[in-house]
Amino acid sequence: MVRILLRFSEKIVEEPIISHIILELKVPVNIITAHVNSKGGEVLAEVPDEALEKLISEFRKRGATVSIPELIEVDSEKCISCGACVTLCPVEAITIDEDASVVFDKEKCLGSTCSACVDACPSRAIKSVKQNNSELTANNPH
Amino acid sequence: MVIGWRETKLKSEQNTRTIDEINEKIRKGDAQVLTAEEMKHLVESSGVEVAFREVDVVTTGTFGAMCSSGAIINVGHSDPPIKIEKAWINDVPVCHPGAAVDLYIGATIMSEREPFEYGGGHVIEDLVGGKEVEFKATAYGTDCYPRTQVNTRLTRDDLNQFYLLNFRNCYQRYNCAVNGRDETIYTYMGKLLPQLRNATFSGAGELNPLMNDPDYETIGIGTRIFLGGTQGYVIGEGTQHDPKNRFGTIMVRGDAKKMSPEFLRGAAFTRYGTTLYVGLGIPIPILNEGLAKKTAIRDEEIFTSVVDYSVPRRNRTKLAEVNYKELKSGKITVNDKRIRVSSLSSLKTARKIAATIKSWIQNGDFFLTTPAERLPVDSVFKPMRQVQEISFVANVMQNAVTCSEGEAVQAIAERIVTQSVNHIVVVDGSSKLTGIVTSWDITRALAQGKKALADIVTRRVITAKPDEPLETASKRMAQHNISALPVIDNEKKVLGIGTAEDVSKLLGR
Repeated sequence: MVRILLRFSEKIVEEPIISHIILELKVPVNIITAHVNSKGGEVLAEVPDEALEKLISEFRKRGATVSIPELIEVDSEKCISCGACVTLCPVEAITIDEDASVVFDKEKCLGSTCSACVDACPSRAIKSVKQNNSELTANNPH
Repeated sequence: MVIGWRETKLKSEQNTRTIDEINEKIRKGDAQVLTAEEMKHLVESSGVEVAFREVDVVTTGTFGAMCSSGAIINVGHSDPPIKIEKAWINDVPVCHPGAAVDLYIGATIMSEREPFEYGGGHVIEDLVGGKEVEFKATAYGTDCYPRTQVNTRLTRDDLNQFYLLNFRNCYQRYNCAVNGRDETIYTYMGKLLPQLRNATFSGAGELNPLMNDPDYETIGIGTRIFLGGTQGYVIGEGTQHDPKNRFGTIMVRGDAKKMSPEFLRGAAFTRYGTTLYVGLGIPIPILNEGLAKKTAIRDEEIFTSVVDYSVPRRNRTKLAEVNYKELKSGKITVNDKRIRVSSLSSLKTARKIAATIKSWIQNGDFFLTTPAERLPVDSVFKPMRQVQEISFVANVMQNAVTCSEGEAVQAIAERIVTQSVNHIVVVDGSSKLTGIVTSWDITRALAQGKKALADIVTRRVITAKPDEPLETASKRMAQHNISALPVIDNEKKVLGIGTAEDVSKLLGR
């Protein structure tokens, strides 16, 4: 699965673009976070790798901006399990387990759309890294 | 021999035990050692008496950011020799407190090339880890030390002495930090979200070395300890040692050449600076039942204050009392609000340190010492004597001209003219702040034909507190590019207003 970040301008935000694309391409689009109002919207979604290219071109055709957010990665050598990052995570992707180790749940993490933990890490063990399909982040020229 | 054995026998029936007796047991391989966490369980299940009889030593540990740390190094003489005036390691200025080539690397000194990201703490970690560092020094040159500059590369093996020398470590307990302001702040207690949305704390609680011997019966000058992965020593009480308030500290020294980066880590706190995480543990000899009881102290018995770090004063507002059990649970309650809380120090490594000392003692690799002098129990931590008055927001505060949300733009325009002010503070029925409008907002509203105040009022108001230093209020005005701050109390009630003009008059700029 790949995470994509969709942005809808004020002009197109009222249109049911995501539903149309799901129905048309018959591809599951898993919405992780969504901030939408009459002024526009930003949706973080998870899509299957094989459908990525097709989805991106469909979204762009309908006027949405598509980018691939970076993922958060933790360097376990550098991490000292202090816990400074835990309370900053808005989706509780960082927890402390029984033996007092800091555990990071990649599935829950919002990636570079959030990054709240990155500058809170005293050992600088948390980094934003590009997803594999990062070549697709370039926006459509038109 | 026989007499010695009888004495031991007699003593064990009495209610004391000596360090020599414990060391003799360590030598024979039959000293009974528990970590502080294990001791609590034993006392809980079997009682103090049994715990005293069965346990000789209780081990403790902590691993946290300790800014008052550093290392003394001697780099040897160059040829021709140099009397160093200024020196840098990996672009971090190092202090030159003594003769020609003795240097002190302070943990919080920051790199000139990469400030806030790399500093003295990282230099110490790199040297301890065997890495090669860039060394640069300059001097004015003397008849006896003619050289004026030197550039070289060094590893820990090239140094004559490399001693960790920390003047304040191992706080007995520490504050829990929150932020009551409207914006995120970055502190030495980490990143604090606005309006008490998170909290941070430091310290190992029931595993903390000084908490397990709170009257310092066994700790003092010469106490052998775990320091940075090897054996080090307490060399006295730490600076700011405050025993009466249970904020004891120690000064320590250890051979950094034998230490490990696992227990000595450079760290960076965003917008605060660099520091060093220090791993430290003290074995507490169980000399009497009292110590058996003291080492059984539980997290729920160790209290600390929740402190608002957004208050830019020495005495910051204390919002609540919490214990370490609550802190370690991940949630605390402050003003009826549940707040997520997490640690800045590593409990995992603290446990590892306590377990390491235990195994050292069990293997006969670590012997206990009697302190030459115990830590003071009655010293006082004084604030700074200040001879210059400093100004606070209250010193420049004037009465605020206010209005209510329901008033017409026209009426407010008139008030601006008659009162000759630029800022009108919007309040509700009980004088609580709801917004602000400026003369510019009103001018624009009149030009655009807007009549209702509600359409033009600014609701996210940057405010000040009366006891806030003028310096920080002034900085905030500049940061947000505004020219006045409504002054409010903790209930958001408007007390007055401070303008940039009045502030600069008082600050003299």
